[in-house]
Amino acid sequence: MTTCRSIRRSLLLAGTFAGVFAWSAAAQAPPPGFSALDKSNPAASKQDTNLKPHPTPPIATAQDKLPLDKIKLPAGFKAEVWSTGHPGARTMVLGDKGTLFMGTRLIGRVYAIINKDGKREAKVLLQGLTQPNGLAFKDGALYVFAINKVYRYDNIEDKLDNPPQPVELTEKYNLPDTIHHNWKYVAFGPDGKMYVQVGANCNICEINPGIHGQIRRYDADGSNMEIVARGVRNTVGFDWHPQTKELWFTDNGRDWAGNEGPSDELNRIAKGQEGANYGFPYCHANGVADPDVKKPNPCAGVTMPAALTGPHAGTLGIKFYTGDMFPASYKNVAFIARRGSWNREKKFGYDVAIARTAANGSAKIEPFMTGLLDEGKNEFYGRPTYVLPMPDGSLLVSDEQNGATYRISYDTPATASVQQKGKGRVR
Amino acid sequence: MRGDVLHAVSTWWRSLALGLAAVAVCMSGAFAQGTSLAEKIQTCGVCHGEDGNSKMENIPSLAGQPEFFVLNQLFLMREGVRKVDAMAPLVKDLEDADLDGLAKHYNKLAPKPSGEPIDPALVKRGAEVAAQKRCGSCHLPTLAGQEQMPRLAKQRIDYLIFTLKSYRDTPRAGADTAMSAAVAGLPDSDLIALAHYAASL
Repeated sequence: MTTCRSIRRSLLLAGTFAGVFAWSAAAQAPPPGFSALDKSNPAASKQDTNLKPHPTPPIATAQDKLPLDKIKLPAGFKAEVWSTGHPGARTMVLGDKGTLFMGTRLIGRVYAIINKDGKREAKVLLQGLTQPNGLAFKDGALYVFAINKVYRYDNIEDKLDNPPQPVELTEKYNLPDTIHHNWKYVAFGPDGKMYVQVGANCNICEINPGIHGQIRRYDADGSNMEIVARGVRNTVGFDWHPQTKELWFTDNGRDWAGNEGPSDELNRIAKGQEGANYGFPYCHANGVADPDVKKPNPCAGVTMPAALTGPHAGTLGIKFYTGDMFPASYKNVAFIARRGSWNREKKFGYDVAIARTAANGSAKIEPFMTGLLDEGKNEFYGRPTYVLPMPDGSLLVSDEQNGATYRISYDTPATASVQQKGKGRVR
Repeated sequence: MRGDVLHAVSTWWRSLALGLAAVAVCMSGAFAQGTSLAEKIQTCGVCHGEDGNSKMENIPSLAGQPEFFVLNQLFLMREGVRKVDAMAPLVKDLEDADLDGLAKHYNKLAPKPSGEPIDPALVKRGAEVAAQKRCGSCHLPTLAGQEQMPRLAKQRIDYLIFTLKSYRDTPRAGADTAMSAAVAGLPDSDLIALAHYAASL
């Protein structure tokens, strides 16, 4: 009974800890960066004030109960279950040796999804972290960004059964330790730099623009920080256009300002415009002045979005498609996961959309993977959070609600009948 | 300074009480592997009350808590995301089915007042703070809780004060950010008033 021994030991230590705890808890100020000045005003927004975020189940949906039959795709595309049994499924990055690493939020896990004896298996690689949503992979190392913790696991794919002690980069990155909107999205850019989100520390408030509402970039070791975008409420998805190499990012609009918005956004950082201002907290969407945080000429000098991605849509993961499996019309198109609304009486999103971008920086949003939202019943069956184009040209979609990923593939009509025979095989 | 000392003493007592309770549970051997759900419920009842209404200082009542809330918190404690030292050894070997069973059990029990004295003036002030902070938006206007949000109505006052302070002073891992934002900057007196108000419902 080591367990009971450890309880007695901690009991002996309790007196010692008590003193330390009392000292640290004596301060009455709110935790640094938490805004006591949040200006949300649900009464003025005239929304149902009982709206609240939907819970994410900590237990995955059984494979035979997954909403695969609900999913609708354009002709020629099909969806299949790729992996299951990993609750809280969100960010996905692929290791050089084929491991799919997956980040989560509240449940604090990082998964490694591997093929073992012909079966796909989701291992809990790390657990007990605070919202480890930020994952990146480079030179054999997995970078894990939890809230205010940055770790690098070298040669991780050779050590999946027993992850090594990480190299801690927390101090080097020096990110704010606030919780609100601070679960990370990170990715290495074509310049080899690590791009990192730092969200606004409130729903709507005056932020310190030197700290919050940014996209930053660093050298991989956390040095040489630069701010590449400002006035960004909360982006948790970005990618670089395959041809222009410009950064495109999604951004989530504020809550409690009405059912109709302000809309989520798809933005571009045009070449030479690094450091541009995207408007938060004064100016939202395509020029909507904030009703609660006001200043004269709120949209002056603000870079307008390339496209609107819908009211309270929960616009998260974005990846440009460069594969050969999908029809040519999908080349260089951005796939965008919309997790779905909570602060809206009539639900919206719960799908994967595409953005067709133009050289002038505009974009057109079209539906792609739908069916997980029943508009008539105002109910949803799944929540797509991130997308990942795979080396074979297929597209993975993670479903946070069900703890699963779906693989979307395309068969040209000529080969469809031949491919039917292979249905159900494990890929 | 005096407040610090008082706090230190009360924190020490809390640790001691939780520790002793955990030892008692250990001695009973009730959490040996393969115990039935009924035996597990009995073990939980040592601290949380046989009927899910805690009579023990600083230990929360579980009766009438939303099923999802209980399941989610047990899961987060088992994973080590929400760190409660006294709970850690008790939840670490629970299976998903146990979490589900315990959640269903406590959801069905009737919440009862803890018997702690409730101050009407504080109830009145607490109602004002609750309206201002829109507690009812997530916890429902009756504070009965729903889904991942706990029932606050009839919860123990001492536990509510402890929890509200920890949300304010130390961002709580495993929780969503809404609570830390909601109580940021509130003085102790408002947190105490909120606790009295919730307990009175």
